Amino acid sequence: MSDWTRKAVLALTCVVPLALGPAELHADGEPQAGREKAKQCESCHGTDGRSVEPSYPNLAGQYESYLIKSLSDYRSGARDHAIMKSFAANLSNQDIEDLAAWYASQQGLEDLSIK
Amino acid sequence: MPRILSAVLIFAVFLPGTLVALGGDPKAGETKAYTCTGCHGIPGYNNVYPTYKVPKIGGQNYEYLVSALKAYQSGDREHATMELQAQALSDQDIEDVAAYFAALGGGETGK
Repeated sequence: MSDWTRKAVLALTCVVPLALGPAELHADGEPQAGREKAKQCESCHGTDGRSVEPSYPNLAGQYESYLIKSLSDYRSGARDHAIMKSFAANLSNQDIEDLAAWYASQQGLEDLSIK
Repeated sequence: MPRILSAVLIFAVFLPGTLVALGGDPKAGETKAYTCTGCHGIPGYNNVYPTYKVPKIGGQNYEYLVSALKAYQSGDREHATMELQAQALSDQDIEDVAAYFAALGGGETGK
Protein backbone atom coordinates (compact mmCIF):
# COMPACT_ATOMS: atom_id res chain seq x y z
CA MET A 1 0.00 0.00 0.00
CA SER A 2 1.50 3.27 -1.06
CA ASP A 3 1.78 6.16 1.29
CA TRP A 4 -0.90 8.00 -0.69
CA THR A 5 -3.34 5.06 -0.47
CA ARG A 6 -2.74 4.74 3.24
CA LYS A 7 -3.56 8.40 3.70
CA ALA A 8 -6.68 8.12 1.57
CA VAL A 9 -7.93 5.11 3.57
CA LEU A 10 -7.27 6.95 6.82
CA ALA A 11 -9.13 10.01 5.60
CA LEU A 12 -12.11 7.93 4.51
CA THR A 13 -12.29 6.09 7.84
CA CYS A 14 -12.61 9.46 9.50
CA VAL A 15 -15.07 11.04 7.11
CA VAL A 16 -17.45 8.19 6.24
CA PRO A 17 -18.87 7.64 9.77
CA LEU A 18 -19.60 11.36 9.97
CA ALA A 19 -21.46 11.25 6.69
CA LEU A 20 -23.46 8.19 7.76
CA GLY A 21 -24.38 9.67 11.15
CA PRO A 22 -27.91 10.87 11.88
CA ALA A 23 -28.77 13.70 9.55
CA GLU A 24 -29.39 16.95 11.34
CA LEU A 25 -33.02 18.03 11.55
CA HIS A 26 -33.85 21.54 10.45
CA ALA A 27 -36.82 23.77 11.13
CA ASP A 28 -37.53 24.24 7.43
CA GLY A 29 -40.34 21.78 6.71
CA GLU A 30 -43.24 22.34 4.35
CA PRO A 31 -46.50 23.12 6.22
CA GLN A 32 -48.82 21.93 3.45
CA ALA A 33 -46.98 18.63 3.11
CA GLY A 34 -47.22 18.36 6.90
CA ARG A 35 -50.96 18.93 6.76
CA GLU A 36 -51.37 15.84 4.58
CA LYS A 37 -49.10 13.78 6.80
CA ALA A 38 -50.94 14.92 9.95
CA LYS A 39 -54.09 12.90 9.21
CA GLN A 40 -53.01 10.19 11.63
CA CYS A 41 -52.36 12.80 14.36
CA GLU A 42 -55.85 14.30 14.17
CA SER A 43 -57.69 11.69 16.21
CA CYS A 44 -55.84 12.88 19.32
CA HIS A 45 -54.43 16.32 18.51
CA GLY A 46 -57.47 17.59 16.60
CA THR A 47 -57.75 18.89 13.05
CA ASP A 48 -56.59 22.34 14.16
CA GLY A 49 -53.85 21.30 16.58
CA ARG A 50 -56.11 21.66 19.58
CA SER A 51 -56.31 18.28 21.16
CA VAL A 52 -59.57 16.43 21.59
CA GLU A 53 -58.71 15.25 25.07
CA PRO A 54 -57.10 17.41 27.80
CA SER A 55 -54.40 14.91 28.70
CA TYR A 56 -52.94 15.37 25.19
CA PRO A 57 -51.05 18.57 24.45
CA ASN A 58 -52.27 21.27 22.14
CA LEU A 59 -49.80 21.64 19.27
CA ALA A 60 -51.22 24.63 17.41
CA GLY A 61 -48.71 27.45 17.32
CA GLN A 62 -46.00 25.52 19.15
CA TYR A 63 -42.42 26.34 18.16
CA GLU A 64 -41.26 24.34 15.16
CA SER A 65 -37.89 23.46 16.69
CA TYR A 66 -39.54 22.17 19.88
CA LEU A 67 -41.94 19.98 17.87
CA ILE A 68 -38.99 18.58 15.92
CA LYS A 69 -37.17 17.87 19.16
CA SER A 70 -40.26 16.15 20.65
CA LEU A 71 -40.92 13.95 17.63
CA SER A 72 -37.29 12.93 17.25
CA ASP A 73 -37.14 12.12 21.00
CA TYR A 74 -40.25 9.95 20.67
CA ARG A 75 -38.69 8.27 17.64
CA SER A 76 -35.41 7.56 19.45
CA GLY A 77 -37.12 6.54 22.67
CA ALA A 78 -35.51 9.39 24.64
CA ARG A 79 -39.05 10.51 25.42
CA ASP A 80 -41.26 7.62 26.36
CA HIS A 81 -44.92 7.38 25.39
CA ALA A 82 -46.37 4.17 23.98
CA ILE A 83 -48.71 5.78 21.44
CA MET A 84 -46.30 8.48 20.29
CA LYS A 85 -43.45 6.01 20.03
CA SER A 86 -45.39 3.84 17.58
CA PHE A 87 -46.38 6.83 15.44
CA ALA A 88 -42.95 8.45 15.46
CA ALA A 89 -41.13 5.20 14.69
CA ASN A 90 -42.31 5.37 11.07
CA LEU A 91 -41.48 9.02 10.44
CA SER A 92 -38.59 10.12 8.25
CA ASN A 93 -36.63 13.29 9.03
CA GLN A 94 -38.58 15.03 6.28
CA ASP A 95 -41.90 13.87 7.80
CA ILE A 96 -40.90 15.26 11.20
CA GLU A 97 -39.87 18.58 9.68
CA ASP A 98 -43.11 18.86 7.67
CA LEU A 99 -45.35 17.96 10.62
CA ALA A 100 -43.57 20.46 12.87
CA ALA A 101 -43.94 23.18 10.22
CA TRP A 102 -47.68 22.44 9.91
CA TYR A 103 -48.47 22.65 13.62
CA ALA A 104 -46.19 25.66 14.11
CA SER A 105 -48.08 27.49 11.36
CA GLN A 106 -51.39 27.28 13.25
CA GLN A 107 -52.73 29.80 15.72
CA GLY A 108 -52.89 28.62 19.29
CA LEU A 109 -50.34 28.42 22.05
CA GLU A 110 -48.83 31.61 23.38
CA ASP A 111 -45.58 32.78 24.85
CA LEU A 112 -45.89 34.11 28.33
CA SER A 113 -45.25 37.77 27.98
CA ILE A 114 -43.26 39.27 30.79
CA LYS A 115 -45.33 41.86 32.56
CA MET B 1 -71.94 -0.68 59.82
CA PRO B 2 -69.81 -2.57 57.29
CA ARG B 3 -71.78 -0.78 54.60
CA ILE B 4 -70.83 2.62 56.04
CA LEU B 5 -67.24 1.47 56.32
CA SER B 6 -67.10 0.45 52.67
CA ALA B 7 -68.73 3.73 51.68
CA VAL B 8 -66.00 5.61 53.57
CA LEU B 9 -63.33 3.45 51.98
CA ILE B 10 -64.69 4.03 48.51
CA PHE B 11 -64.80 7.76 49.18
CA ALA B 12 -61.21 7.72 50.46
CA VAL B 13 -60.02 5.88 47.37
CA PHE B 14 -61.65 8.32 44.98
CA LEU B 15 -60.94 11.49 46.94
CA PRO B 16 -57.44 12.14 45.51
CA GLY B 17 -58.82 11.78 42.00
CA THR B 18 -61.58 14.23 42.83
CA LEU B 19 -59.08 16.78 44.08
CA VAL B 20 -57.02 16.54 40.90
CA ALA B 21 -60.16 16.97 38.85
CA LEU B 22 -60.97 20.15 40.75
CA GLY B 23 -57.75 21.62 39.43
CA GLY B 24 -55.42 24.25 40.75
CA ASP B 25 -55.85 27.88 41.50
CA PRO B 26 -54.66 30.11 38.62
CA LYS B 27 -54.28 33.09 40.94
CA ALA B 28 -51.95 31.20 43.28
CA GLY B 29 -50.24 29.75 40.23
CA GLU B 30 -49.36 33.18 38.88
CA THR B 31 -47.05 33.87 41.84
CA LYS B 32 -45.62 30.35 41.83
CA ALA B 33 -44.92 30.54 38.09
CA TYR B 34 -42.58 33.48 38.42
CA THR B 35 -39.48 31.29 38.01
CA CYS B 36 -40.94 29.62 34.91
CA THR B 37 -41.10 32.89 33.04
CA GLY B 38 -37.28 33.08 33.14
CA CYS B 39 -37.33 30.64 30.20
CA HIS B 40 -40.96 30.24 29.12
CA GLY B 41 -41.65 33.95 29.26
CA ILE B 42 -39.16 35.07 26.68
CA PRO B 43 -40.48 34.73 23.13
CA GLY B 44 -38.11 32.64 21.02
CA TYR B 45 -35.79 31.82 23.92
CA ASN B 46 -33.51 28.89 23.09
CA ASN B 47 -32.67 25.83 25.13
CA VAL B 48 -28.88 25.87 25.33
CA TYR B 49 -28.04 22.38 24.04
CA PRO B 50 -29.44 20.82 22.03
CA THR B 51 -30.74 24.03 20.55
CA TYR B 52 -34.49 24.32 20.21
CA LYS B 53 -36.96 26.89 21.38
CA VAL B 54 -38.34 26.55 24.90
CA PRO B 55 -41.95 25.45 24.34
CA LYS B 56 -44.89 27.78 24.54
CA ILE B 57 -47.12 26.78 27.42
CA GLY B 58 -49.64 29.64 27.48
CA GLY B 59 -52.96 27.99 26.67
CA GLN B 60 -51.67 24.44 27.03
CA ASN B 61 -54.08 21.89 28.51
CA TYR B 62 -54.19 21.73 32.30
CA GLU B 63 -54.08 17.94 32.49
CA TYR B 64 -51.18 17.71 30.08
CA LEU B 65 -49.19 20.31 32.05
CA VAL B 66 -49.78 18.42 35.31
CA SER B 67 -48.65 15.14 33.77
CA ALA B 68 -45.60 16.76 32.14
CA LEU B 69 -44.48 18.31 35.44
CA LYS B 70 -45.01 15.06 37.30
CA ALA B 71 -43.03 13.16 34.67
CA TYR B 72 -40.16 15.63 35.07
CA GLN B 73 -40.46 15.33 38.86
CA SER B 74 -40.15 11.55 38.77
CA GLY B 75 -37.44 11.60 36.11
CA ASP B 76 -39.62 9.75 33.57
CA ARG B 77 -39.14 12.73 31.32
CA GLU B 78 -35.59 13.98 31.18
CA HIS B 79 -34.45 17.56 31.15
CA ALA B 80 -31.93 18.71 33.76
CA THR B 81 -33.48 22.13 34.40
CA MET B 82 -37.08 20.96 34.32
CA GLU B 83 -36.39 18.00 36.61
CA LEU B 84 -34.90 20.33 39.24
CA GLN B 85 -37.72 22.84 38.89
CA ALA B 86 -40.40 20.15 39.17
CA GLN B 87 -38.77 18.54 42.17
CA ALA B 88 -39.12 21.83 44.02
CA LEU B 89 -42.89 21.82 43.48
CA SER B 90 -45.56 20.20 45.66
CA ASP B 91 -48.61 18.57 44.04
CA GLN B 92 -50.59 21.69 44.91
CA ASP B 93 -47.92 23.91 43.29
CA ILE B 94 -48.04 21.81 40.12
CA GLU B 95 -51.82 22.09 39.93
CA ASP B 96 -51.70 25.83 40.56
CA VAL B 97 -49.06 26.65 37.93
CA ALA B 98 -50.79 24.33 35.44
CA ALA B 99 -54.07 26.15 36.05
CA TYR B 100 -52.32 29.49 35.52
CA PHE B 101 -50.69 28.51 32.21
CA ALA B 102 -53.87 26.83 30.93
CA ALA B 103 -55.86 29.97 31.66
CA LEU B 104 -53.44 32.19 29.70
CA GLY B 105 -54.67 31.03 26.36
CA GLY B 106 -57.52 28.93 25.07
CA GLY B 107 -56.66 26.09 27.43
CA GLU B 108 -59.06 23.20 27.64
CA THR B 109 -61.94 25.19 26.28
CA GLY B 110 -60.02 25.71 23.05
CA LYS B 111 -61.13 29.31 22.73
